[in-house]
Amino acid sequence: MNSINVNVTLYGPLARIKGKRYVANFDIELEPGTHKGDLLALLGISLEERSYLFINSVLCDVPGLDSGCGEVLKDGDHIGIFSINHMWPYQYRDGIPMSENLKKALQNRGVMHHSYTVHAEKD
Amino acid sequence: MAKKVLRIDMSKLEATYENVPEKWSRWAGRALTSAIVFDEVDPTVHPLGPHNKLVIAPGWVTGSPAAPSSGRTSFGAKSPLTGGIKESNAGGLSGQKIAKLGLAAIILEGQPEKGKWYTLVVTNEGVKFEDASGLLGKGMYEIDELMWEQYPDTAVIGIGPAGEMKLSNAGISVNDMENKPGRYAGRGGLGAVMGARGVKAMVVDDTGGPGVEIVDKDLFKQGRKKLTEAIQEHDLTKKDGGLNSFGTAILINILNEAGGLPTRNFSAGQFEGAAMISGERIAEVVEERGGEGMTGHGCHPGCIIKCSNIYPGEDGSAMVSCVEYETAWALGANCGIDDLDYVAKMTYECNDAGIDTIESGNTLAIAMEGGVIEFGDAEGALRLLEEVKQGTPMGRIIGQGVEATAKAFGVHRVPTVKHQSMPAYEPRAVKGIGVTYATTPMGADHTAGYTIAPEIAGVSGKLDPLSDEGKAELSLTFQAATAFIDSTGYCLFIAFPILDIAKGWAGMAESVAGVTGMNITGDDVIPLGKEILKMERLFNERAGFTAADDRPPEFMRYEQLPPHNVVWTITDDQLDHVFAWVHDGNGAGD
Repeated sequence: MNSINVNVTLYGPLARIKGKRYVANFDIELEPGTHKGDLLALLGISLEERSYLFINSVLCDVPGLDSGCGEVLKDGDHIGIFSINHMWPYQYRDGIPMSENLKKALQNRGVMHHSYTVHAEKD
Repeated sequence: MAKKVLRIDMSKLEATYENVPEKWSRWAGRALTSAIVFDEVDPTVHPLGPHNKLVIAPGWVTGSPAAPSSGRTSFGAKSPLTGGIKESNAGGLSGQKIAKLGLAAIILEGQPEKGKWYTLVVTNEGVKFEDASGLLGKGMYEIDELMWEQYPDTAVIGIGPAGEMKLSNAGISVNDMENKPGRYAGRGGLGAVMGARGVKAMVVDDTGGPGVEIVDKDLFKQGRKKLTEAIQEHDLTKKDGGLNSFGTAILINILNEAGGLPTRNFSAGQFEGAAMISGERIAEVVEERGGEGMTGHGCHPGCIIKCSNIYPGEDGSAMVSCVEYETAWALGANCGIDDLDYVAKMTYECNDAGIDTIESGNTLAIAMEGGVIEFGDAEGALRLLEEVKQGTPMGRIIGQGVEATAKAFGVHRVPTVKHQSMPAYEPRAVKGIGVTYATTPMGADHTAGYTIAPEIAGVSGKLDPLSDEGKAELSLTFQAATAFIDSTGYCLFIAFPILDIAKGWAGMAESVAGVTGMNITGDDVIPLGKEILKMERLFNERAGFTAADDRPPEFMRYEQLPPHNVVWTITDDQLDHVFAWVHDGNGAGD
């Protein structure tokens, strides 16, 4: 396969990257072997701009926390990326499916926080 | 001046002012409503009978000068929906005005002569009992307007036709700063308890009231400053943060991406039309239509979070406030409806009839599953809500809530705990909230367990929050912290910054200590919260609740939820462990 196609939705102000107001959905063609981090770089989205990131309904990132370059994307994947001002209180995500990379990152920083943009210390 | 308890006897049409007895002197807000219900209401009484009572109490700091986001009012009684103790709180104008009248609580008890209805006018001079027969059948939008024509700028606590009919899903309305009835103590049917006291409306005028005494002004100012700074620094609660920009409906797209957005009566975790009913879409509509619509709207004076909105009609005029997360989900995704204008119209109808939007949306979904109308039928759903207000036989079934409607139409997939329907987080996907749904004394309730700091919850080195076992352990501390915050008068959303920013937690405790003079620090929050929970659990036990009532709905144990295809996995033993301490003999505060 020379390329893969993934579907991306940007929520909040990030949607302006694609000329939309608050929600932008689009398909994008990528090189095989592209990582999550590569996609973010391609779209020009920094850690300071994005909050929650899902790949196929699995939570892979939370605001203020860098879980690394992450998963290799596959053909047909759906990626949902939320802007930094999105919120998801901990009690409303306690138990949802998460990537192994994110679990490791959370264990290092402390699992139970609403946001990691203001909380730098490990619990 | 010491606070008083205002006791209003609707049998004798008498009002008396009592000193706050020692046993209640530490309490306010939810703690006080639960303590009074625990002490004065026999748990076996009929919720609509003469021996139930409706208790109204502002929080500890409510009405104090410039305590941020602190205008909540707690309403408590034995619930006609759950059959257990209930506290439901609302924003709006009432809490601050009741507090400024020097009142710790108002107790409504007794019943007037059959067929008699009253408006109560509560002022610094006392209570007037006015004939309300001319108000019967009127919706809350008209009631609020009529009250302000006679008593401008007052707080109006009222019930719509659903409360008059004593329907189990009737809520209690509080007017907001625009004098609209968007602020509801919605859950648990407390509007029916108010209706059963023969009270259509209560007007509260704080003119000339003594105000709220602050025992230690320096400590209060110190706590207020810390808490205010924490709210203003946190991404969720600061100006232009998530709540301020998109309202609570910002969660629609997030829960949908996570596969945890209950859809079509909890049959799936994702809704294909989620983006169309989301907070992002609400913000787009507000910007596109202009006019009176707005995000960043405050629900009570002094709120600095401002997560409410005013949803505009096509011409830009204000249609309804507020389309929040639970409302957009219940009347939208859970009914398979992706038309935001219809969601707004249904919200208006709920506000006018005086019914809770969460229970209403769940009930409509049950009616859809039962074949009354099809999933996605927005026009049909709106018509059913209109029938509630009209009091047709169908409307009265719908107005009784999910379980009554499920029985009427032969539906076995019933998403309730303790007879109250679940809010907008699928417990098979969001396991932690499922533990709280199952075990809280309130019945399935998303506001019963807010996260607290790990070191206070005992997580560090002891529990793995990512395990099922950890979730059951954590739920108790979450519930205890929430019971405390519900008693402060602060909006529960201060829980976001006080979890992540240490000075916020200290600021909350110091501001309460400053107002009350009680020696409260952050370390006291969980023990005090457990005392409140213990009263509530014991009331429910005496009302007949057992461990079998701390369980999720059966279908969630065997029916896989797409897209993750998960079932409920928390064991009954883990659920039973959450409140095992109530009878361990170590007292409430351990």
